Amino acid sequence: MEPRSDIELVQEVRNGRRQAFTELMRRYQERVYWVARRIVGSHDDADDVVQETFVKAYLALGEFRGDSSFFTWIYRIAVNLSLNALRKRQVLNYLHESELLSRILPSPDDPEKDLEHSETESALQHAVATLPEKQKAVFVMRYYDEMTYEEIGRVLKTSVGGLKANYFHALRKVREHMRNEIQDGEKPSHG
Amino acid sequence: MKYRMEKNPLTGEAERELTSEIRQRAGAGGDTPSRPPDAYWQNLIIRVNNRIDEATSGRALSISWAGRVAIPGVVAIVSFLVGLHYIAPDASFREPSVADVVLALPPAAIDSLLMDPSRADPSLSVEDVATDVFVFSRQQIAEYFIDNGNAGDALDAIPDRDANTVLSVLSTDEK
Repeated sequence: MEPRSDIELVQEVRNGRRQAFTELMRRYQERVYWVARRIVGSHDDADDVVQETFVKAYLALGEFRGDSSFFTWIYRIAVNLSLNALRKRQVLNYLHESELLSRILPSPDDPEKDLEHSETESALQHAVATLPEKQKAVFVMRYYDEMTYEEIGRVLKTSVGGLKANYFHALRKVREHMRNEIQDGEKPSHG
Repeated sequence: MKYRMEKNPLTGEAERELTSEIRQRAGAGGDTPSRPPDAYWQNLIIRVNNRIDEATSGRALSISWAGRVAIPGVVAIVSFLVGLHYIAPDASFREPSVADVVLALPPAAIDSLLMDPSRADPSLSVEDVATDVFVFSRQQIAEYFIDNGNAGDALDAIPDRDANTVLSVLSTDEK
């Protein structure tokens, strides 16, 4: 039996067949997870984003008009939620740095977190983490997902020219960051 | 090569070269985080379905209703009332009456308003003055003109409306 198209599944969900949405989740959960993971950096944050993405998509399915593909639509939700998560974390980091949170939150000594932290310590991930959010989103979609500029444009609702410029700047920053990091690593340690 | 890339940042070739260099550097470091186990993906679907159930249950809908309608409504009403209190003119405020102003004057000044200074009685106090010093009885007006005589000259100097009042008082007095 031929697999049903996304649009057919969406129509089934609208007709009240919840199982069709589970099928859509199975199709896209990994891609949604990875775009979120690349943008937010950690598994826990990505997990939150993925859940939120599918819940939002289900609740807003009535607004999906089919102008773009279902994947583009859900991908856009995931990218926006990932960027929101980044902003929230930046605010929390700022608060933490200003020692407001340190008075009310315990220190993060969870060994799982340490493991995850060391896992994300690669030079490239470090470099991606330093990018501004728009460049980060474009970089993730282009570099990791190898999406075309037209596809990215549909997700971010941005012109192709702007995306190319963003991606180029992101590439240069990442390359410089990696070069510097590797050079720092090669320097002999003193003492 | 760098110069060419700087000058033509949007070329596909420049992009490919940069991407290739980054992939090469990242390859040595192994930049890909490990994939979550299969159980995670199964569990993810269950958790999302649970959250959808919660979101579409009556309680969540009522919370959603509260978030979308009730809370913004209450905030709007409170904002309106606060704005009304601070911006709208105070309805309880009224202009002071002439009597209020006059009574606020020093007693001697009030005396000077009421009578000829040459006949002012130094013993006259504020309590002796009527509440509204500018309200005179018809009798008082008539007596004023009779005492001072030459009502005709006075009538020439005052507006028609006041002259009519004076004439009506005089005619009443004559009756």
